[in-house]
Amino acid sequence: MSDIHQYLAEFDDIPGTRVYTAARARQGYHLNQFAMSLMKEQNRKRFHADESAYLDEWPITPEQKQAVLERDYNRLLDLGGNIYFLAKVFSSDGLSFVQAVSTMTGMSVDDYQAMMNAGGRSPEGVRSIRDGN
Amino acid sequence: MARITHGIACSHIPVLGYAFDHGKEGEDYFRPAFEGFEWTRKFMKEEKPDVIVLVYNDHASAFDMKIIPTFAIGCGESYPPADEGFGARPVPPVEGHADLAWHIAQSLILDEFDMTIINEMKVDHGLTVPLSMMYGHVDTWPVKVIPLAVNVVTYPPPSGNRCWALGEAIARAVSSFGEDLKVQVWGTGGMSHQLQGPRAGLINTEWDNMFLDRLIGDSQDLRQIPHIEYLRETGSEGIEMVMWLIMRGALGRSTRALHRHYHVPVSNTALGHLVLEPVDGSVPPSPTLEQSNAAAQTLVA
Repeated sequence: MSDIHQYLAEFDDIPGTRVYTAARARQGYHLNQFAMSLMKEQNRKRFHADESAYLDEWPITPEQKQAVLERDYNRLLDLGGNIYFLAKVFSSDGLSFVQAVSTMTGMSVDDYQAMMNAGGRSPEGVRSIRDGN
Repeated sequence: MARITHGIACSHIPVLGYAFDHGKEGEDYFRPAFEGFEWTRKFMKEEKPDVIVLVYNDHASAFDMKIIPTFAIGCGESYPPADEGFGARPVPPVEGHADLAWHIAQSLILDEFDMTIINEMKVDHGLTVPLSMMYGHVDTWPVKVIPLAVNVVTYPPPSGNRCWALGEAIARAVSSFGEDLKVQVWGTGGMSHQLQGPRAGLINTEWDNMFLDRLIGDSQDLRQIPHIEYLRETGSEGIEMVMWLIMRGALGRSTRALHRHYHVPVSNTALGHLVLEPVDGSVPPSPTLEQSNAAAQTLVA
């Protein structure tokens, strides 16, 4: 690594991946803190009773709010969400990691599960956009 | 004197905790994953370590985005299991070893590892799943645990080289603790997995096994793997494997493997598990002034 700029730039060369950098951590701060609040049972109940009202208590952007309501996890990653924080949202929905993660891949849960059972997604061709390997 | 007897590496996949807690260990899907721990459960019953320095990462349970320590050590008396969004795991509270933990914390700081000290926290699947794998169903954990939490969520995480060096410093700290204790160091997380984005589901069996191979013996090559290689080759969450290098560093110059287990898939993840024994457990002397200074050392003894 020659410097921090090159270190960070490399992350954008990985296909289909959002590395949780400082820039994303800043953008998603309140979104992730909202997700964190779902660690508490009383908050989960309030959230599920009226999601929109609960989200209005947090200083998140309208785009972030909409993406939570739609459970659009790729969009949430783009808006600064981190998967370990977002896991509080899908766990409170009763979804497993496999069920939630599959929604980001454009595959059905069954197809995604079948891919995992067959050994997972090969790294071939998805290591680098630049090198196409 | 306290001594490091073994190192254990283990993935901490949450669904293993779920299967374990719900009596699903014998189901077709889970059996091959759990069978690989049978050897280790027998081993632990015979070996009876007193303390585990358990290296893991918190998954937005004890730490949120307010405070992000790179390396944090638990110096408290006990740690309840965390509610991660679906109720806490029904496992016993984890008992700490405050005397040894504070000794390690002080020694590490004098060794120029600027640790965050934790007195109270809840512990999530990252810590409790490996305990369940190694000890099975118990009313109380038959061992004391010193949690050592590493930030591998917000970039940059520590480098592999730094993790290895921290392991060496832990070995120096343990060896200067006066009580006769058998201490194991565990490195958890990994192996290849990606839980986010269109590339989710990535598994790299070949790379994972290269990593397992090089934890055994006297190679130090793994210290030099940059973050970008973990990300490209093993998925965005494969970076957790840097934590295994803390365990490996603590075992000293060379190791042998007593047990090895690898299984794909468990949920989204490649399961890896390795039991290592030091062959030559020596680590380099501390390069720091304070850690080499007798007067400073009497303060932490």
